[in-house]
Amino acid sequence: MLPISCFLPIWTSLNHALKCKGIRMVILQVIDMVKKFGGLTAVDKVSLQVEEGQIFGVIGPNGAGKTTLLNCITGAHKPTSGIVNFLGEENLAGSPPEVMCKKGISRTFQISRPFPRLTVLENVTVGAAFGAQSHARESAEERALEALEYVHFPLPEDTMAGHLNAVQLKRLDLARALAGGPKLLLLDELAAGLTEGELADIMKLIKRIRERGITIVIVEHIMKLIRGVCDTIAVLDYGKKISEGKPEEVMRDPKVIEAYLGE
Amino acid sequence: MIKSTGKASTIARTLMSRTGFSSSGIILIAILAVLPFIPPFNSEYILRWLVVGAFMAAQAVAFDLTAGFINVVNFGFAAILGVGAYTSAILANTGPHIIVQPGISPWIGIFIGAFASAFLGFILGFLTLRLRGLYAAIMAWFVGIALLGLARTLTPLTRGSLGMSPPSFFDTPSNMPYYYLALGMMITIYIVTKLVTTSHIGLAFKALGQNFDAARASGINPTFYRVFNFTLSCFFAGLLGGFYAHYFVSMTPKAIMHTSKSVETLAIAFIGGRGFLWGGIVVAFPFVFLLEYLRSALPQLPGIHIIIYGVLMILVMIYYPNGVAGFITELKKKLWRLRKPEKT
Repeated sequence: MLPISCFLPIWTSLNHALKCKGIRMVILQVIDMVKKFGGLTAVDKVSLQVEEGQIFGVIGPNGAGKTTLLNCITGAHKPTSGIVNFLGEENLAGSPPEVMCKKGISRTFQISRPFPRLTVLENVTVGAAFGAQSHARESAEERALEALEYVHFPLPEDTMAGHLNAVQLKRLDLARALAGGPKLLLLDELAAGLTEGELADIMKLIKRIRERGITIVIVEHIMKLIRGVCDTIAVLDYGKKISEGKPEEVMRDPKVIEAYLGE
Repeated sequence: MIKSTGKASTIARTLMSRTGFSSSGIILIAILAVLPFIPPFNSEYILRWLVVGAFMAAQAVAFDLTAGFINVVNFGFAAILGVGAYTSAILANTGPHIIVQPGISPWIGIFIGAFASAFLGFILGFLTLRLRGLYAAIMAWFVGIALLGLARTLTPLTRGSLGMSPPSFFDTPSNMPYYYLALGMMITIYIVTKLVTTSHIGLAFKALGQNFDAARASGINPTFYRVFNFTLSCFFAGLLGGFYAHYFVSMTPKAIMHTSKSVETLAIAFIGGRGFLWGGIVVAFPFVFLLEYLRSALPQLPGIHIIIYGVLMILVMIYYPNGVAGFITELKKKLWRLRKPEKT
């Protein structure tokens, strides 16, 4: 297998050419993803295409398979079958998470997973030191500090991560994911449990991240956020994709209304 | 002039902090270095306790590299130390009781033993790779039991439970050179582990130990770091095993490789403070003295030291999970805070 760096020059030149024509490149492509847990099919033949620079939302009722889909993309779960293409590299499905991270996919977790006995700065430094741009010239610590500032982390950086509350932990997760210098950021219920003000903040932050040239996939329940930031959304129900399109269109789709409200 | 000394002192300070020596650490090492000349420590009897203290301290540091960082308690630690001891002892053998008589100098054999242990650590790292926390510990324990069994049954090489008597390092009955050798090993092991753990490698160890999934999602390759950690820790164990063989000059499988020996190391490392490395050093010396004293004062209670270890472990786990090192660190921070307002 060729290292990712071989593809990068071709990728960037191609990308540039297409951008001039106003066509966007597909950065992530998921084809017929299936994940079975024993007899339960959590993700059933889901296909997605995420274009570069997009904010792509994945919604659906509880247990629809959104997080499982995310886990299959990042390598946390090995999909039963299906194809994942990312950044011009084909068939990455089943690669371990550390490999996907190095290729440029960072994520946050539904329930934040900090390193509790490390300081905030050390937590984010882990992301910077081992992520996609771990070879970057500035020191990992500098990039960690920059990421903390970028997400407006409210506490001093020498606070122990074990002492943070749930909302601060979400920001910490996000800073750690960003510090790795990803091309694609997967956010798993980043806004759960936030107040109105915090939600507005996080929406601004997500848009700012996109302006940095990072493509974003959001799994979320909060419709306000989905409507506010997403360009395209896909709806999952019982593991199947039942609708996809612009937020307003999808919200009017009778299949989606049925999935959320019942018949 | 003042500027250059200031620069020199900052360089010295960064070097010290990289290798993990605070000024109090230097003082502690200096005290340990002159201790054998100060009565009552200058008697051979008590000097022996000091050697055991340095030996246990070095073990605790090597043990803490695995337990305190990647959060896997290596219950096979003593058995792997025993592999180093037996390798070195067999290589040094010249007597007729064993089928081979290579007669290699202990000074070379100790390193070959260390590499043998490191190789086993490498394998152990792979064996425990897919397992987390407790399960990895149990796997390491089983490997330890298997190695102990092997040392008992390979009688042509190890004489089994009869034990071996390998040659000693020095031709003197004095404990003095052994003390400095043990102290030197302890300091070397501490500096190397500290250099590794203060680098990005150490950050990867801690991340893997504290949240395996998040560490992987952040791009850390668990195979490399876990196997590396086990290999390094077991290399030191093997080195210390070689010291054991050529210092005590008598060894049986049970006396070095038994799980209870791993537990003794674990107790010192945990009471000292997980993930601090130096905690074990601070705790090992007073502990060895206390236990040796109790052993001589209460000969009718042979297992008393295990009970004391147990009780202290429970107390530390419940009331002070960061151990003695954590306590001292916090105390230092508090003192700093008290001093700061006076300055400004």
